[in-house]
Amino acid sequence: MKKQIGFYVNSQRCIGCNTCAMACKNQYHQEVGVVWRTVYPLAEEIYPHRERAFYSLACNHCEKPTCLEVCPVEAYTKRDKDGVVVHDQDRCIGCGSCIRSCPFGVPKFNPALKKAEKCSFCWQRLDAGLKPGCVNACPTEALQLIDLETFRESGATRSAPGFPNFPQINPSVRFRAPRQPIVIRRETT
Amino acid sequence: MSELIKEKIEQTLDCPVTRRRFIQSLLLAGAVAAMPGGILKPFRSDAGIVYEGDYQIFRNACPRNCYDTCSIKSYVKDGVLQFIEGSPESTFTDGGLCQKGYEYVRRAYSPDRIKYPMMQEGRGTGNWKRISWDQAMDKIAKKILALKEKDGSLLGLALTKYSGNFGITNYCVEGMMSSLGYTTRMVGTPCWPAGIDAQNFDMGDMWCNDPEDMANSRYLILWGVNPAACSVHSMKYIYEAQERGAKVLVIDPVFSETAAKADMYWQVKTSTDGALALGMARHILDKGMVDEGWVKQNSIGFDEFADYLRKNVTVEWAAKESGVPAKQIVRVAEEFATADPATIWIGYGLQRHTNGGANVRAIDALVAMTGNIGKTGGGARYGHLYTWGFNYHALVMKQPKGSKGWTGKAGPKGEFDFSEGGAAKYSDRGLNINKTAQELLDATDPAVKMLWVSCKNPLSQDFDKNKLKKAMKQLEMVVVVDQFFNQTVELADIVLPVTTLFEEWTVDVSYWQYWLSINEQAIKPMFEAKSNLEIAAALSAKMNALSPGSCTYPTKIDTKEWMIKEFNKGIYGLFGINSWEDLKKGPRKAKVHPASWSDLKFKTPSKKYEFKSETAVKWGHKALPEYKAPRKPYAPFQLLTPHSKFGIHSQFINIDWMHDINPEPFVYINPEAAKKKGISDGDKVRVFNKVGEMVLKAKLGDNVPTDTLLMYEAWFAKNPYNVNNLVDDTSADMGAYKTGAPGVAIHDQFADIAKA
Repeated sequence: MKKQIGFYVNSQRCIGCNTCAMACKNQYHQEVGVVWRTVYPLAEEIYPHRERAFYSLACNHCEKPTCLEVCPVEAYTKRDKDGVVVHDQDRCIGCGSCIRSCPFGVPKFNPALKKAEKCSFCWQRLDAGLKPGCVNACPTEALQLIDLETFRESGATRSAPGFPNFPQINPSVRFRAPRQPIVIRRETT
Repeated sequence: MSELIKEKIEQTLDCPVTRRRFIQSLLLAGAVAAMPGGILKPFRSDAGIVYEGDYQIFRNACPRNCYDTCSIKSYVKDGVLQFIEGSPESTFTDGGLCQKGYEYVRRAYSPDRIKYPMMQEGRGTGNWKRISWDQAMDKIAKKILALKEKDGSLLGLALTKYSGNFGITNYCVEGMMSSLGYTTRMVGTPCWPAGIDAQNFDMGDMWCNDPEDMANSRYLILWGVNPAACSVHSMKYIYEAQERGAKVLVIDPVFSETAAKADMYWQVKTSTDGALALGMARHILDKGMVDEGWVKQNSIGFDEFADYLRKNVTVEWAAKESGVPAKQIVRVAEEFATADPATIWIGYGLQRHTNGGANVRAIDALVAMTGNIGKTGGGARYGHLYTWGFNYHALVMKQPKGSKGWTGKAGPKGEFDFSEGGAAKYSDRGLNINKTAQELLDATDPAVKMLWVSCKNPLSQDFDKNKLKKAMKQLEMVVVVDQFFNQTVELADIVLPVTTLFEEWTVDVSYWQYWLSINEQAIKPMFEAKSNLEIAAALSAKMNALSPGSCTYPTKIDTKEWMIKEFNKGIYGLFGINSWEDLKKGPRKAKVHPASWSDLKFKTPSKKYEFKSETAVKWGHKALPEYKAPRKPYAPFQLLTPHSKFGIHSQFINIDWMHDINPEPFVYINPEAAKKKGISDGDKVRVFNKVGEMVLKAKLGDNVPTDTLLMYEAWFAKNPYNVNNLVDDTSADMGAYKTGAPGVAIHDQFADIAKA
């Protein structure tokens, strides 16, 4: 197996602060409305309290990325050294194929450039020996950079409730489910 | 060229938001000679960004009113701030900032910033005209001189300033007022005064353990505090304690983000925290689980407290009062008393009540009677000012010779007023900051005619907005120093653009953690912005030109020099540094024992922990930490208006980057209550009470109890939303002793709700 890095989304530690999402903007200054990383609150069917458990998601840098498959101009490449899926905006013609076909809704349309764009895993930072901006920023180590080959953590899973399950394209992300505290509600009002 | 002029006029009249105009305005401001535009257009994901050796790195610190006060590393290229990170040298900040801090690059370069001094023709009209700094200072100085001429003093000039920028050199604003004469000051604090007094009655000071030491605790009660939203860097220590086997209990009326991470959550009835603490205390007493040795050696008045508990408190009563089941109270009381060490983090929310100080004293007592004060991993944690021993060089200014001032009862002082009290004949006139509207309306001989606002957004943050608007009408001149056209600026006559943290020199410490950071000037001031220090110097120059000797503030200030002047041997010793320049290598932590009060020498009159406090009696309270009943409801729902994780008071939420994450305000209502009112998720609703009303969207969720509505305080740009349309200015019980004025019962508010 080729080396593949990914994100570990530990909902047990995630407080939903959105620091990762803003750290991404701090690094890349995306156009307003163009978002690479989103912190999704889990639906109440998955976690019984509204906006109290989260998945922080960006590009999953899949083993078999749909974006790369469908792109007519080969704007997407997958790096051999770490499996990061890179989008080349010089090649991109803004046709929107990747945006329509990514099952995770990752690539976004940049209305100013009229081109697609997405999370780069901060490959330039990786190449400089730094953690990606979002991972570096997380105050609770809820979002981590992992090497899928060596990553072992009890309780970590490949799929998670609410996250689309596409084993054939194999997204490079692992999850850990949130915990629930014992909740003692008021007896009197 | 005519196009350029047109642009210029448009900018002067409004704050344009498009990038093209933004660049244009930079050109006009002459700020761009070498502006490479890197910051002005997004980086591309495939661009050849280089991370090593290519940046100038500066040290900054977040100066906001926040527990975390993060140490920042700023990366600048060609004079443009590119991105920022947390300082890795600080174990607290640990290389990362928060959702708000990471917005700062956009804040510095926001097209919405106030760019020049401006004058509004007709408050609230939006009819802003650009004026020069000289014109602005001329108008302001002439008004000040006219007031002095008419009244014989400058008591007609009032200052309202609080926590918008805690950079130490920003105390120059108070200094500037003193340098003009004796003036009127809004004093006190809306934030935490009742708890400060409570801790001073009990221990003689407010002094918390190092938050990093929470990791050593075996039992943590997070009481009315939500670090997952308001102190994200504290969470890792709580997790560490959990991983080492500690139990975490969150007590809060709201099932908060932090509650979701706890082992157990108690939904307490708002403002009954004292009953809960006393109920636990009674059970600990009955079970013989009091730390007798600690109590005997280190406290006074415990027997009287025990007597009070036996006569007035039962677990059943506490359960009925607080809503927390008796068997839970019993169980946790026993667990807390036997865990060693155990700690309670007391949040600021639980003391924003008419019984808030009394509630904090009851919780302090619970920590003390179990012998957990002065102990690593223990403590009744609230806050501290232990690291704030600067020179306050910018603050301490002499009034001009012959100045006349207040001869009544000496003005009270706030908790951050570090000026030495003198035996002067005159003083400033202090008005209660928590009743700003009423105090402005009531002040006479002379009435307040001019208001200077800095580091504060009173129309957003002060209580009873309608009354405040009325009070503003009597003012002849309102000057606001700010970065954005917020709700206070809307009612100003003159607005002055102030620098962001990246554009000035200062030094910062926290009231929670124990790190010290310098704040270097990383970029040139944007547009025509000036720091508060430079504004003070500019005003002084104009005052002295018009009337020599009328202002004692220096007229030429090197802000870096003034930052250096804040340091002293005490600070150097405390932080183990030889010079401020050591901080260029990164922030430093105070060399202190992780536990406050580790020598168990309290600063009370008895030098012991005082379960019974005569000082409290002197200030009109009970000697013992007795229960005080909550404020009586004046409407069907309890209304809570706490911090959002996306802002600090009225800052951060207005920036467009945050808009992508947090676009609009909501009121949270329990689905059961919503059903009774015929309200569905997303419905437009009207929340109303005797103070005013708000129309906004409803969000349904069982995180709030059935009798409670919750909306976060915030200023959304271009949105009239303001929680202080619904919050009155009723005082909290304590605060006058140490902060000059009682706190305000922000969370003792009530409202009704209906479909709009």
